[in-house]
Amino acid sequence: MQTTNVQVIGEVCELLNSGISEVFSTMFSQSVEAISPPDLRLTQEVLIAGSVGFVGEANGVVYVHLTESFAKSLASGMLQMPENELDDEMVNDAVAEISNMIVGSVKSNLCDRGFPCVLTIPSIVRGRDFGAEASAGSERASLGFQCGPGQLFVEVLARPPQ
Amino acid sequence: MSKKILTVDDSRTIRMIIRRAFKAHDCTFVEAGNGEEGLAVAAKEKPDLIILDITMPVMDGATMLGRLRQDPDLKGIPVIMLTAESGQDNVARIAGLGISDYVVKPFKDDVLLEKASKVIPLALLQAA
Repeated sequence: MQTTNVQVIGEVCELLNSGISEVFSTMFSQSVEAISPPDLRLTQEVLIAGSVGFVGEANGVVYVHLTESFAKSLASGMLQMPENELDDEMVNDAVAEISNMIVGSVKSNLCDRGFPCVLTIPSIVRGRDFGAEASAGSERASLGFQCGPGQLFVEVLARPPQ
Repeated sequence: MSKKILTVDDSRTIRMIIRRAFKAHDCTFVEAGNGEEGLAVAAKEKPDLIILDITMPVMDGATMLGRLRQDPDLKGIPVIMLTAESGQDNVARIAGLGISDYVVKPFKDDVLLEKASKVIPLALLQAA
């Protein structure tokens, strides 16, 4: 039976809840609560998005958006370094690794649920006003999470199997 | 006696977290950002332990491990694999690669230390 985008989106959104909770409780001792997708552009801050793709029986990309200030506080916690000693490259790398851990958890569970796939290398986008748009044949979903003092805006794009 | 640990991971963050995890122990660190660099550093430095990520650009961890095991000078170095993927198939696959142990990301420092201490003897640094 062919996997549909709607199936994949549903599975990924469900798994993101547990994946994000696992990463934030283990790495930052922070609890996570699902919220309405926040419009982080209203903060007027620079935004950072870490993206990781999954390719196989399930195909798509997960974008994890957060403000630069929240990203710095997470990088500071991960590296146990003061925020004023972190450069952009260190913050980008920390966001890429957080995204990789989150989507790695989702991917593991997708495989166990019968959607074998592999991950792509994480990448980072920085800016003030950007987002992901679904191309023809793709499905898109957006989610929000309150993670301790900060928020994540998470976008999921699912494409048909290749 | 001080132990030399090679960390091979494309994430500088993870390399720093690993280094920090061992800060109370008598260890020195050498680093590489992918498997190709990792093989070169391993040949030059002859580490006591390699902590190796799986998913990396240029050369991934599984390929590096295969090359390591074919090299008579390096094949005896113990390897702990790091992976962001805890799925049953992935765990079974990496367990079959000839590794001492594996750690799933995200991880806490004590989990990595416990696994490393089962592979090489770790001594605490003496207080100054």
